[in-house]
Amino acid sequence: MVKLYNRKTLWFILITIGIIIPFFIDSQSQLLLFTKIYILAVFAMSYDILLGYTGIISFGHAMFFGIGAYSISLMLKHLGESWINVLLAVIIAIFLAAIVSFIVGILTLRLKNTYYAMITLAFAELFQILALKWRSLTNGDDGFNFSSKIPDLLKDRVNFYYLSLLFLVVMTILLYRFVKSPTGKVLVAIKENEQRAENLGYPILHYKLISSIIAGVVASLSGAMYAISYRYVGSNFFGIDKTIDALLMTIIGGVGTLFGSIIGAGIINIAHELLSDLAGLHPIFDRWLILFGILYVLIVMFFPKGIMGSISKYKGLFSNYRKQKTWTKDNSSLK
Amino acid sequence: MELFATLTINGVATGMLIFLIAVGLSLIFGLMDVLNFSHGALSMWGAYFGLWVYKSLDSKLIVEQPSPWLSLLFFIIGIIAAIAIGAALGFFIERYIIRPVYGNHVQQILITMGIMLILNEMVKLVWGSNIIHAPAPQILDGSKAIAGIDVIKYRIMIILIGLIVLVGLVYLLKKTKIGLIVRAGVSNKEMVQSLGINVKKVFTFVFMLGAGLAALGGMLMAPFMNQVYPSMGTEKQLLAFVVVVIGGMGSVTGSALAGVIVGLTEAYMLYFFPEAALAVNVLLMAIVLLLKPSGLLGERS
Repeated sequence: MVKLYNRKTLWFILITIGIIIPFFIDSQSQLLLFTKIYILAVFAMSYDILLGYTGIISFGHAMFFGIGAYSISLMLKHLGESWINVLLAVIIAIFLAAIVSFIVGILTLRLKNTYYAMITLAFAELFQILALKWRSLTNGDDGFNFSSKIPDLLKDRVNFYYLSLLFLVVMTILLYRFVKSPTGKVLVAIKENEQRAENLGYPILHYKLISSIIAGVVASLSGAMYAISYRYVGSNFFGIDKTIDALLMTIIGGVGTLFGSIIGAGIINIAHELLSDLAGLHPIFDRWLILFGILYVLIVMFFPKGIMGSISKYKGLFSNYRKQKTWTKDNSSLK
Repeated sequence: MELFATLTINGVATGMLIFLIAVGLSLIFGLMDVLNFSHGALSMWGAYFGLWVYKSLDSKLIVEQPSPWLSLLFFIIGIIAAIAIGAALGFFIERYIIRPVYGNHVQQILITMGIMLILNEMVKLVWGSNIIHAPAPQILDGSKAIAGIDVIKYRIMIILIGLIVLVGLVYLLKKTKIGLIVRAGVSNKEMVQSLGINVKKVFTFVFMLGAGLAALGGMLMAPFMNQVYPSMGTEKQLLAFVVVVIGGMGSVTGSALAGVIVGLTEAYMLYFFPEAALAVNVLLMAIVLLLKPSGLLGERS
């Protein structure tokens, strides 16, 4: 088979499509859908850093998303509209996410990875309760709208669309650089065989912490973007549903490829939109998560590499990923 | 004094319920290294299904004369139905979904998360997403004065059932052949298998046992909370995780001890300072993780 395109041209085409999309879409809601896809793609990629590149599962990734979202909304709501506040909020979001992921990581990452999954879940729950109960600051369950406090430049849907696209492109480049860096290679080594990486003299905890902190910080940035695009924040930003979203997008798109997360984000959000329209026809469409849940289980069982991994396996499109194994095999357990 | 007694009984009852859910989680993890994220959903299925059986029997068969004893009988049938659905789902999940991915932790955890998602949504599809009222049978409803203190009967029953299960499990593990195999499997799976014992059957048994107990816990919890709702599985699962970490993975008595500790903390905090109830338990878990990562009564380090 003749290879018609390489990776660079593919990216070029995709970005060009991204740039011209607003010229063909008139409806605000569709533009918002694409904006949402780009932002959630970054969220899913941050999850992929943990799951696909380090082999750690987190069930509380939403807590970083929520930290970012609440940082920017609270700053803008209480300190008013200004670019300095936006910048300050981003710095606070990064700082908070780094600290929280460090604390959670140091508590659990020296133990089995399963502890990380349980304890992130518990911490995310704590943050959600905090957001629920600290009513004077967060307005509890209802959350609050802060559209009047967003700078006008960010309020324009088209502008914000391009900002989200830029955000996605920049984050993709940065994360690609990260996973290709020596640190990223060590992370993959840890995922493949933790014991071997440790015996080679790599401080496992140190590397896992780096991975956890980077994933947390990127997730908090995507949370901040998400809050601005919806001009609203509520305690469900910390909810397990958000983590499940990230999980579905990453798994269905394909773990350990980053690009898979973008594909996954597109598929899940577009399908969600379409299925919501069908909800009137049959109650099963109202419970669209069942369909995704079944798809998810089937993918984990039979195509653990997801869409991207399976494509690259069969077509050799992304030849770099061809040789990578996707899942950690634990050599001490029964086969 | 009365407040103290009420809160303590309430706490111990809560602890026993969480123990029922957590002990299966703990055994499954200890033996099979599977962290079962669908455990809370299984317990919720027990609650919904058992309650449905109990309520439909109760409303359909008693038309003219409501009989409290018949109602109690139906409640017991409901409990049996709950355990049955839990064990059946457990069998199906272990045999057909988890078994194909043994030996791969990441895949296992991810898959149990997917099962949780499906089970949670199925509950909403079958029974709707609204809160459903869950009455206790008439005989167990209300309270009885013991030594001048009003004690709610249903809570006493929960504590009794919890104790029976605890004693039964300890007996099963310490005195029977299958218990011996399970204990040996917890400490060294490969050795058990190389001795010619079919570990896979033991895995299925333990998974069904754990799922059945979780369903029992869920069913008993329904009248305790007076209601069932679709997010109860995830909520209680979180407490079960806390209990498993504090008590130690794979330890039955550890789960019981930690369950009572967590239950008492819940009861007292909910009364005096409700916002911080979960925070205190998570903090407790963090301290245990820092000082003794294997848990209070966990054996492996």
